[in-house]
Amino acid sequence: MVHAQTDVTAQSSPASATTHSPDTTRPPRAPTLIDSDNSADFDLNGHQAIYRGHVRVDDPELKLTCGWLIADVPQAGGRPNHIVAETNVVIDFTDTKGQTNHATSDKAVYLYNVQNGVTNETVTLTGNPQMENAQGMQAGDVIIWDRANNKIHFDNPHMIFRQNLNGATPETNPPPVKTNFPQGTVENIDKNISNHIGDRPAF
Amino acid sequence: MNAKANITRASLAAGAGLLFAVTLGVRAQQNSVQHANNFTSTEYYGPTNQQRIKSILSGAEALPQPGGLLIIKQLKLEMFNPDGKLEWVVNAPECVYDTFKGVANSPGHLQVRTGDGKFRVEGEGFLWRQSDSFLTISNNVRTVVENGAIMNTMP
Repeated sequence: MVHAQTDVTAQSSPASATTHSPDTTRPPRAPTLIDSDNSADFDLNGHQAIYRGHVRVDDPELKLTCGWLIADVPQAGGRPNHIVAETNVVIDFTDTKGQTNHATSDKAVYLYNVQNGVTNETVTLTGNPQMENAQGMQAGDVIIWDRANNKIHFDNPHMIFRQNLNGATPETNPPPVKTNFPQGTVENIDKNISNHIGDRPAF
Repeated sequence: MNAKANITRASLAAGAGLLFAVTLGVRAQQNSVQHANNFTSTEYYGPTNQQRIKSILSGAEALPQPGGLLIIKQLKLEMFNPDGKLEWVVNAPECVYDTFKGVANSPGHLQVRTGDGKFRVEGEGFLWRQSDSFLTISNNVRTVVENGAIMNTMP
């Protein structure tokens, strides 16, 4: 299996990050909203919530839509530490460089925990996960967005290129061409294709 | 008069049972439930923890209906954990509680929040099943997770 990992910030980070101390100079953070068109179930004993039907998560740092979402309901004073989104998952987020990213998958799992003062916060995408930004689109068997360290990790990464076929009208959106190769080997593929992709994606 | 109404023991128990386990005794006495205004009912944990409050239920009005139904207006329910910490607060303008089935429902609005207020839910239409503390909100469900409770590790 091939692995690839990309920093979404300029700095290198260890495998986990120490918990950030509260910054009292920052303005209050806007709340996270979770909306669903259909019903939602709440197990108040089990501290769990299930949302169905066009679920939308509107967070200052990301927007997520899906068909079904289950979340741990925090105890008083706590925070959700396990969220699972399924069915047509779409996530849009802006990284610390201000670059917008668009991710899709069948399933996304958010995990948050603090162990020995170290914060771990990840979003794991499975089921045909893809991530796209201004530089291009990349897919993998699994995509892990390590939020604590601002990294994105791809298992078995592969680039997805959109061919600009001769004679195609500008509005035409030809079918994607899927390749499967380790990151950094773009130069080994057909130049007719690589010529159309511009710079290698910065994932 | 804004004083606590003359509420029978049965009506208090029935009110307390709105979102919690209703004792068989309440069912047996439910025929004696009377109209009540501005009522408050406190439920305590079981024999091992009798001094701890489990819930405080209050309402502006409780109207007994045929078939063991009880209409409660301006419902407020506070639920505490065994350590005395406020876990949930439930507010509903009106609901119908079925004392036989142990189920409360309403087509109207419902608000639920954690004790610290950082997790709040509201929606239209609900069904509450007290046997396992399971709540279904039917429509327009909106949850607010306050102030960085999700996705807030970024520096």
